[in-house]
Amino acid sequence: MVNQLVVVFLGMVIGTLLLATMEWSTRFFGLLAILGSLTYLAIKLEQFYRQLTELHRLRDAYTQLDQQAKLIIRIDLELHRTQEELDRRLASLMSLQQLGRQLQVSLRPDEVFAKLDAAVVTNFGFAKGLLGMCPSFDTIEWRSLVGIKAQLAEDLKEHLRTSGFLKQILTQASPKTLTLGTASHPAERRLLELLGLPLAVVAGVIPHTGPGGCLVLGRATGGTATVRGDEELVAILANQLASAIENSALYEKAWGAQQELERKVRERTHELAQANTELVRLNAAKSNFVSAVSHELRTPLAAIKGYASLLNSGQFGALQPPQQERIAKIEKHADLLTRLINNLLDIARIESGRVTMERRPIPVGEFFTTVQEQVRPQLEMKHIRYEADLNGVKELVGDPQHLARVFVNLLSNAVKYTPEGGRVRMGLRREGEAILATISDTGCGITPEELPKLFQEFYRASGPVNQHVQGTGLGLALVKRIVEAHQGRITVTSEPGKGSTFSVTLPAS
Amino acid sequence: MSEAIGTGIGWSAQADAGHAGKEAAEMARAALPPRSPQLALVFGSSWFDQSSLLGGVHSVLGRTPLIGGSTAGEITPEGPSSHSCVILLLGSETLQWSVGIGEGVDGAPREGGQQAAYQAMQHFSGQQRIGFLLFGDGLASRYADVVRGIQEVLGTSSLVVGGLAGDDLRFSQTYQYCNDRVASGAVVGVLLGGTGKIGVGIEHGFAPISKPRRITRAHANVLHELDGQPATSVYEEYFGRDLMTQMQQTGFTRQRIAYPLGMRGETTDQWLLRNVVAFKEDGSLSCSGELLEGAWLQLMIGSRELALEAARQAAQDAIRSLQEVAAVLVFDSVARRTLLGERCAAEEVACIRHIIGPSVPLIGCYTYGEQAPLRTSAIAGRTAIQTGAVLVVAVGT
Repeated sequence: MVNQLVVVFLGMVIGTLLLATMEWSTRFFGLLAILGSLTYLAIKLEQFYRQLTELHRLRDAYTQLDQQAKLIIRIDLELHRTQEELDRRLASLMSLQQLGRQLQVSLRPDEVFAKLDAAVVTNFGFAKGLLGMCPSFDTIEWRSLVGIKAQLAEDLKEHLRTSGFLKQILTQASPKTLTLGTASHPAERRLLELLGLPLAVVAGVIPHTGPGGCLVLGRATGGTATVRGDEELVAILANQLASAIENSALYEKAWGAQQELERKVRERTHELAQANTELVRLNAAKSNFVSAVSHELRTPLAAIKGYASLLNSGQFGALQPPQQERIAKIEKHADLLTRLINNLLDIARIESGRVTMERRPIPVGEFFTTVQEQVRPQLEMKHIRYEADLNGVKELVGDPQHLARVFVNLLSNAVKYTPEGGRVRMGLRREGEAILATISDTGCGITPEELPKLFQEFYRASGPVNQHVQGTGLGLALVKRIVEAHQGRITVTSEPGKGSTFSVTLPAS
Repeated sequence: MSEAIGTGIGWSAQADAGHAGKEAAEMARAALPPRSPQLALVFGSSWFDQSSLLGGVHSVLGRTPLIGGSTAGEITPEGPSSHSCVILLLGSETLQWSVGIGEGVDGAPREGGQQAAYQAMQHFSGQQRIGFLLFGDGLASRYADVVRGIQEVLGTSSLVVGGLAGDDLRFSQTYQYCNDRVASGAVVGVLLGGTGKIGVGIEHGFAPISKPRRITRAHANVLHELDGQPATSVYEEYFGRDLMTQMQQTGFTRQRIAYPLGMRGETTDQWLLRNVVAFKEDGSLSCSGELLEGAWLQLMIGSRELALEAARQAAQDAIRSLQEVAAVLVFDSVARRTLLGERCAAEEVACIRHIIGPSVPLIGCYTYGEQAPLRTSAIAGRTAIQTGAVLVVAVGT
């Protein structure tokens, strides 16, 4: 009997083992050993093959992953590129905003040209920058240098000036990008060579008023990516600089005008001060002159009055009524002249500071009784009603003699200009740290035109009443000076036909 | 705050360099209780006239020892800043320090590092050294050699931490300050000693995204071949021909720093980040740090969340071993600020501030590179050059 045994390796028949019935012998055991080895070999070979297949599969997967990594990297790089562009745009815009704020406070055009700093240049994505003021097409004064040494700046200035490139920059409407690959004109290539950079943007700063300028920005190879739209951003920067120059030029002009105005005001003030000093000097001279003349007049006037009095006394024989009448007129006019001279002298003394005002408490009741006594004859003569309201004020502070002259003068005036049967009122009241005294009458009043002139020396109102009322025109002038010498103030309100009110304010202490 | 170490910080954003330096120095001096001796760490914008800036600082601080440099942005306690100056003034009887400068690091980096460390060692009077804080030219191509030079003088077990000076992403010229000197192409450092401690935390938060490639040919910071292919062609596979052409012509800094290269050796568990600085005509890539043949390289990707978590982690690592924190310095990669944007960059500083506590004085700057020992076991204790990382340095007891 023969048994057939098929040996299969990896699904394929690789052999057949014929096993015949035979005796158990040495050959049989040898054959069995071969069979076992073959079987082991077959199993191992299958294991290696499966591992190899797995390795191939893993390698393919790894390669696929690496391919995917390449795709991811390229997509990610594009994202980086976009992000970089966005970052730079954002930085440029923020820089423009910050620069705008700084430019707002630039007061002079040359300050504007000094505002280009490293932060602005780098935020715009550039490595070097120059900004200069150009008073003409062949002049540049660099005011900002970023990443540029002084010697290079000089070389660039010389190149721009001599090549005529500066004029081109200052007359072109928008910025121009120069690259080593595209720069056609030798002057453009030379500019890039001098900068040592492959790319530059040049722009004119062209304001409507004020000096123009030249802006040069350069980018290094190792820097950030070249981005479309650089020219637009640089154009905005150049326009912003131009606007700032216009504003600062206008400001400078306005500032200059203001300075000129202030200079003229100072000049006029100085002239006025000089004129005032001269006036003060002349006024003092006038006062001295009036004082001197008045003194000189008083002596002959005293003689005239003396002799008139002697004649009137009859010492030189009885006088006829017409003679008495004439002598009385001489005495009356001499008295008037004396008052005039005394008033003039007092005004001159007060103005020159030769009169010292006493400052002492004055009991009000007694004081105004004395004042009223002095005008009583006039009051009674014209049947004028006099009212005094002291409102509890107990005292005034000042020089009693001079203040008596003030109130006698004011009351006397009130009586003079008040028609018969009228009313004159004197009122006192305390107002804070001051005493206010008012003298009101029901007289003819004063026109508004005449009110400001009332306290001038020798001024007399032109109303018909004055035709009949005698006066020197010095009374109110003297009153004003005495009141002011007491650190007081006098004012008047009036309505023609209804009366006037003089208000005297004096310090209460 | 530590009572043994007095600190005062100041900052100013005045447009005039001299005024900015003076104002920041006055503010720092006013905040520091009167102590002697003092040390000033000064970081200023590269846009300033550097001599005028230091002139302003010295007009207030006189002959106080000073180191620092220009930056790619400054960090004040209020957050990220630009076109400004920040100052940390240390005053302590228990700390000792000595400053040094090494020049010509682009031509002879190892010698430059040795010179800076040797100068600092020569004038150092303390018994115990606690670390060397350095600030070097961020445009130097072989900065790993500078650090090697420093460690050759100080010993490899010495803690060496610091940042690379920047120039506000202009990649033209950076500046280093040492006392009243302003230098370029130099490394400046201060050797600190005494009873204080320095805590360090450095993290980046980037994760691999591409399949790993083996560095088959590299020299210093130049990557020639990956898996036997020119490095540029591999780079191009991921970025596409158009973008590569644009990057070669116009920069595209943001795109390059968004996907740094991550390098990892067979035995290390941390990624060292490298930025591509330039594309060379021979198909090689010039990178921001040294590359090792045989190491694995992958493109890395970052996210806002990972970046903020990295900042938290770095701050926690920095203060972990300190009982009292006197002040914190932050050297943050400018790549992170660019990628995060201003708002998130401010969040990052706020995260650090939250971890260290509101009363601890904090200043810093944005750098072109960061140097600190990594936690990894394979290179533990050795200072590695990172890019795209946030380095938090805490000074205290």
